[in-house]
Amino acid sequence: MGKTALIVDDSPTMRQMVAFTLTNAGFTVVQAEHGKDAVNKVSVGPKMDIVVTDLNMPEMDGITLIKELRKMASFKFTPILMLTTESAIEKKQAGKEAGATGWIVKPFNPELLLKTIAKVLPA
Amino acid sequence: MSNDFAQFQAAFFEEAAEHLAVVEEGLLELEQHPEDLDLLNKIFRSAHSIKGTSGMFGFNAVAQFTHKMETLLDLLRNGQKAVSPPIADLLLKSTDCLKTLIESVKTGAPVDDAAVQRLTSELASASAAGAPQPPASELTTAIDPAQSGDLTKTYVITWTPPNWLFQRGLDPLQTMKELRGLGELTKVTLDVSRLPHLTDIDPEQCYLAWELQLRTEKDSKIVEAVFEFVREDSQLSIQQVSAKEADKGVQSQSVSTATPMPTSEMDGPKPIGQILVEGGVVSSSALDHALAQQKRVGEILVEQKAVTPQQLEQALQKQRQQESGAHAKKADTASIRVDTAKIDKLINLVGELVITQSMLSDLGARFEMSQLHVLLERVAQLERNTREIQERVMSIRMLPIGTAFSRFPRLVRDLAAKAGKKIQLVMTGEETELDKTVIESIGDPLTHLIRNSADHGLELPEERLDNNKPEMGTIKLNAFHEGGSICITVEDDGRGLNRDKILAKAIRQGLISENDKLSDEQIWSLIFKPGFSTAEKVTDVSGRGVGMDVVKRNIEGLGGTVSIKTTLGKGATFTLKLPLTLAIIEGMTVRVGRETYIVPLLSILESIQPKEGSVKTVVGKGELINVRGTYLPMARLYEVFALEPEHKLATKAILLILETEGERVAVMVDEILGQQQVVIKSMEQNFRKVEGIAGATILGDGTVGFILDVRGLIEIARQETAMAA
Repeated sequence: MGKTALIVDDSPTMRQMVAFTLTNAGFTVVQAEHGKDAVNKVSVGPKMDIVVTDLNMPEMDGITLIKELRKMASFKFTPILMLTTESAIEKKQAGKEAGATGWIVKPFNPELLLKTIAKVLPA
Repeated sequence: MSNDFAQFQAAFFEEAAEHLAVVEEGLLELEQHPEDLDLLNKIFRSAHSIKGTSGMFGFNAVAQFTHKMETLLDLLRNGQKAVSPPIADLLLKSTDCLKTLIESVKTGAPVDDAAVQRLTSELASASAAGAPQPPASELTTAIDPAQSGDLTKTYVITWTPPNWLFQRGLDPLQTMKELRGLGELTKVTLDVSRLPHLTDIDPEQCYLAWELQLRTEKDSKIVEAVFEFVREDSQLSIQQVSAKEADKGVQSQSVSTATPMPTSEMDGPKPIGQILVEGGVVSSSALDHALAQQKRVGEILVEQKAVTPQQLEQALQKQRQQESGAHAKKADTASIRVDTAKIDKLINLVGELVITQSMLSDLGARFEMSQLHVLLERVAQLERNTREIQERVMSIRMLPIGTAFSRFPRLVRDLAAKAGKKIQLVMTGEETELDKTVIESIGDPLTHLIRNSADHGLELPEERLDNNKPEMGTIKLNAFHEGGSICITVEDDGRGLNRDKILAKAIRQGLISENDKLSDEQIWSLIFKPGFSTAEKVTDVSGRGVGMDVVKRNIEGLGGTVSIKTTLGKGATFTLKLPLTLAIIEGMTVRVGRETYIVPLLSILESIQPKEGSVKTVVGKGELINVRGTYLPMARLYEVFALEPEHKLATKAILLILETEGERVAVMVDEILGQQQVVIKSMEQNFRKVEGIAGATILGDGTVGFILDVRGLIEIARQETAMAA
């Protein structure tokens, strides 16, 4: 596909698993540890086709990150998926208000993750 | 789904261990600063991470238990409950429990289910007391049996998306495509009635609406799932119509937009039993009963005489072996996390090495004697590169000792609570780096020393006050570098070691006789003898007579030493001195005949050239040498290894005085060559164990040199004396 994905999660294991799933599906993957790291990386890095972010993170949480990204011209319409646990589902609303495109519930099924990405990823 | 991710399990266990440490340290700190919101957030995040990630591997017990902890932590950080000592205690106990749960999925170790249950309900009730529990699951719903037919249906969908659709990165075209993927879109009508006048249009807003007709075999829930991310914010209606009515419009069976979709849809077809239960055809207990009567394949085959019971048993055994094999496999993979900066630096250095090498090849290709100085310069550069790379590679195995220290605050807290003492733990030098293997092995000895200080060393508050000491006892844990070693001290301001008590006990146990004149140091080292304990009463913390000897053995196993300094009534300090790494030692090269040996530098006390007459042969004690009034056993290296030496006369040769574990021996060699770092290669792994030799190494000239085993030499000297006797 040649698409680039940004994965933001403070858990390296989780990040690697998402990266693994996406890399196998042909994505180029950029990883960030938390919101601040992500903002730093996208400000100098390539354009992203999709962002998958955790919500609970140190430094800058996912909701703030989504708001920050939506402020940038290059991320205005980029699909952003929240990777969230069931209990954090009330955060769905806050995420949507911040500009999140959709969500994936943790623990995730790799096929469902790819399906969900396909759902929001512009051709 | 877990199979693909199995390769990440090791990473998970490592990460989980780090999170557990964060949680534990955080909780301990929280007891001091219950109001610290940042701290609570940090603890919460770690618990949350464990929960999320463990779920990925299907470690449900871990995920569920962490969920309970997380619920309580969430209430605490939202201020709905206050941090109280019982809650902190409960959370600490839960952290321990979580540790065993994780350990159990890692190694298959058994778990105390009753304890897990108890803590789970304690956590639940602690959470319940403050605020309502969040609903356990939001995603359960019954499926309307009328919908589960598999005939082609026609749906009429009217969809008015919210006008901020684009701002969330959603694209209606994607939705159309996804619907088309489900079946056939027979009709798409665009509704532009909401479109304002051209001048008023905000291009980032969505003013459009659609009416669609979809022919598909899929359930309406699946159709609805297409709109998952916008459903709640859209005006959406999905209605099933009969094929005939499709053209006319809308009728019958409308699906409410608020119905949540079932999650199981994506996981493939359901078992027949589940469908029957959901359809209300059978009850779930009837299903369970039917399932219980189901026979295993093996039983059926045996009944049909297709296999004998023996064959079946063999096959089952094989299956069990495979299962346990898979189990064993996942047990232990050692890995290390390295700071990327260290690796980058290393890669840089390797780059430099490559440059040096190509410069040398280039020079070699057209070398003339006149360029000798250039050659020497480049070789010096190569040497620099090599040394730096060696240092960097070693540093990859280096971790800050803080990782070993992290368990002690909790330990001290628990010990103090148990003994009714007031103890503060002061830790310094946590950033001191040393080899991972060493760090992993010093945890237990240090734990024992700290227990010892807390239990024997420090007095009860009243006793301390009586002795004009502050009520709060202090244990100081400090790590620092000293030369090529690392020192770790455990210092307490308690009652100190009691010389008379130790002596009395040692005499009673027959370790020494009443007439022995012992130096203070020799007396202190008595407590490292197996079975020695002066504790008047045995507590469940220490004083069981195991430990101090194990401490000494462990530390010496790592090539280190333990020493004690103490003042009665003022306190005691235990100092552990350890090599930075186990793979490289600082050695002294010595020559015997034409052979080169390496003596570990740490064990060398001094070298002497004995005077005429200082070597005595004593009946029953073999050869002894008088070093300033003390007689030491002597070993002639050429005799030990059957070599032809340069000097057979002790007065012409050189004697190295070596010490290990408090015992000394004089070793006779021809010449001292110099000092160098050597990499230890194991003899056992490459050849076999050889008495008196600790290992081998490759020397600068490419030959193999043997590293002397000081302990072994003492044994040999002793045997020889016994033989001489």
